[in-house]
Amino acid sequence: MTPLASGAPDAPGAPAPLARVRDLAVRHDGADAATPAGATFEIRPGEVVLLLGPSGSGKSTLALTLNGLIPHAVPAEMEGAVEIAGLDARSTPVSVLSTHVGMVFQDPDAQLVTGTLLDEVAFGPENLRLPVAEVLARSESALRQVGLWERRAENPDRLSGGGRQRLAIACALAMGSPLLVLDEPTANLDPAGIEDVYVALHDLVRHPDGTPRDRAILLIEHNLDAAVALTDRVVVLDAEGRTVADGPVDDVLRGRAEELHAMGVWLPISTLAALRLRRAGWVFERLPLTPDELRTAVTASAGPVTAPRAVAPAAPTGEPVVEVRGLTLRRGRHDVLHDIDLTVRAGEFVAVVGGNGAGKTSLVQAIAGVIPVPRGTVLVGGVDVARTDSRGLSRRIGFVFQNPEHQFIAHTVFDEIAHGLRRQKLPEAEVRARATGVLRRFGLEDKAEQHPFLLSGGQKRRLSVGTALVAGAPVLVLDEPTFGQDRARAEELLRLLRDLQEAGTTIIVVTHDMQLVTEYASRTVVVADGRVRADAATAEVFADEALLRSAGLRLPPLRQALRGVTHPALANAIRLADLPGGAS
Amino acid sequence: MSVVVDPYAEVAIRRRFLDGLNPLAKLAGPLPAVVLLVFVRDLVTPLIFLALAYVVILAGARLTRTVGLILGLALPLGVVVFGVGMSVWIDASRIDRSVEIVSIGAWTLYGGALEIGFATSLRLAAIVALALIAGLTTTGPDLVRASVQQLRVPYRVGYTALAAFRFVPRFRHELDIIRQAHRVRGAHGGRFGVVARWWGYVVPLLAGAIRHAERVALAMDARAFGAHPDRTERHLVPFRVRDAVFLGACWAVSAVVLTAPL
Repeated sequence: MTPLASGAPDAPGAPAPLARVRDLAVRHDGADAATPAGATFEIRPGEVVLLLGPSGSGKSTLALTLNGLIPHAVPAEMEGAVEIAGLDARSTPVSVLSTHVGMVFQDPDAQLVTGTLLDEVAFGPENLRLPVAEVLARSESALRQVGLWERRAENPDRLSGGGRQRLAIACALAMGSPLLVLDEPTANLDPAGIEDVYVALHDLVRHPDGTPRDRAILLIEHNLDAAVALTDRVVVLDAEGRTVADGPVDDVLRGRAEELHAMGVWLPISTLAALRLRRAGWVFERLPLTPDELRTAVTASAGPVTAPRAVAPAAPTGEPVVEVRGLTLRRGRHDVLHDIDLTVRAGEFVAVVGGNGAGKTSLVQAIAGVIPVPRGTVLVGGVDVARTDSRGLSRRIGFVFQNPEHQFIAHTVFDEIAHGLRRQKLPEAEVRARATGVLRRFGLEDKAEQHPFLLSGGQKRRLSVGTALVAGAPVLVLDEPTFGQDRARAEELLRLLRDLQEAGTTIIVVTHDMQLVTEYASRTVVVADGRVRADAATAEVFADEALLRSAGLRLPPLRQALRGVTHPALANAIRLADLPGGAS
Repeated sequence: MSVVVDPYAEVAIRRRFLDGLNPLAKLAGPLPAVVLLVFVRDLVTPLIFLALAYVVILAGARLTRTVGLILGLALPLGVVVFGVGMSVWIDASRIDRSVEIVSIGAWTLYGGALEIGFATSLRLAAIVALALIAGLTTTGPDLVRASVQQLRVPYRVGYTALAAFRFVPRFRHELDIIRQAHRVRGAHGGRFGVVARWWGYVVPLLAGAIRHAERVALAMDARAFGAHPDRTERHLVPFRVRDAVFLGACWAVSAVVLTAPL
């Protein structure tokens, strides 16, 4: 283990830390081990600290100790010390700590209490018993800082996801706390929403001329490409939740990138790309962290002469398995989908992307027969979806909902899988044999007798994919399968989908995550306002930034970095795998 | 996005006199009449209260389309349908059979049946109309504020209830998705299909609900909710002289109508 980079004694005159965490270990009631197991760091005024660590290292738990929710509201055993502005967080009530540490959580909907933006922001100061004039002054200032003052009379439900998260930031600001803690603030947002939140955060910590303000931020974020440009310092926890690195961005992210990557810590895509290029012989004096830095670096040096990677031949695709013809769907008075034509061939991996409310979920639900469609508009495996019962449909197409729990209907994992086979009226011996086979394939053999709700998140997801495929469906449709999940679990699922595709299953996936789309999908369908805006090879779709922006989407970080780069090995790369230096 | 009644929607339009009254006065004023109407048996008393309620609402509430539809269509239609239904359904052997209204074969509709039927339906209509005085002119948040400020209901209870309002549309949406998902899996069937099906919805719905409620509770704690015995009220909902006058007038009129020899 490497020694800590910081932890030097306070220099005279340096501002007192806003938060000081020493050897913090937290064990949740009922958990076997403590995570974090030994976190140590400090946050000083004006700093933006990014907290990194592999999934399961206790980052969110750590965040909850900073304003005393652990141990005051969430039962857990806590060792070590957390000091907030000199107060011991364990013995100071949450209400006092809340004026020093403001919190913003992942789910914007779970942070709303009242009926208007103004009431929502005023809620915290009112709880602090501040005089009305002060409540209003703070509310106005907080709403102005996130650009929502003009909309103060509206119901928060009318805001976009990014808008609601900005409101949550304003609510934290109104508490008057000099330190903001944001725990995965953009995990539930679409690309436009993520950009929205980061613009607001940027304005909070930097003056218009770029000099830092006094506000400190602790950021827990898997979307590093957006976060890193704001960050001053990085604290890294290992898998058990011990601090293994703490220092300026340059020292930690640039200097120890390979080590962190090996530990399972997510790095910005631009950094991952650079690590890969380095293996191919490129020289980077400073490892790039942002798309802009990567572009500058690869444009400045000529780079080794490597031939462009042979473009992998398009996966052989077969007969059309899904055919949509002139599909129009109405809900209430407006069209949700308008005159859609779409053909998906056997063996394809198709991503359906679009902004919130574009109609992408309706489209795939119509394809899978989850919602009723007019006769003759959707054919799956040659049969009309509108004329097929759900049993017949489940042999042709499987649908996985966003939250796997929603589709569990049995009391054991085994019965969950067997249900689809029993519906096909198969003999019990065959049901048993095939269900066991599916459990083995999805790594759930030893969980067969468990209740599905007691599985871990990743296991639940695998089980839901298993139930969708068990009846023999050659087509699998997934609605936002990576929504709200950390990177590791999202990657695990996508790898599973790729394995299925290689074994011959056709995959159609709805997602917001542009980098995942480019990494895995061979074809991308862009939906906007209920119409198909583009339908082409993924590389082609992501070459057209104007198209993406007009559909409420953004370029994935790698594409953003390589925009305009002319080096033959890089110009057309959209996936990390397209870059030279592979076989890692 | 489904259209749900927004319990928060701020009313920024011209205020009529009922909008300016304390919600508690609007609830307590008609309350004795509502309770006593349950025991009234004649036709005239409910009719008087119905008329009074209409006058108060028409004079004191904003006349939106909803109000118009309720008062002009739904309530009168309800009185007629319910009144006729009751008259037909009632046991003819136990009523005054001196007046015959209609005779179809062996079946006769007597005046007594009609009277009892309409007395019942008018009674219900009067109760509904009296409740609408508060119902049409009060928002959930104002009722909570008044309860906290005048009835000394703990604010932790009141505002938590208000936050729970937000759960309703969310859970309804979630239930829709669960039903969709179970339909796709083909979860129905069996002799107790309906019961089993709904039981199947309960588990995932509850799991999601508990998780959501925990998150909301944490977010509220993080903003010092419940830290102090009271909290700043930006919107005072005072109990003023006019509230007392309204309350007194309601009670006095109720007493007069209920005791007058009719």
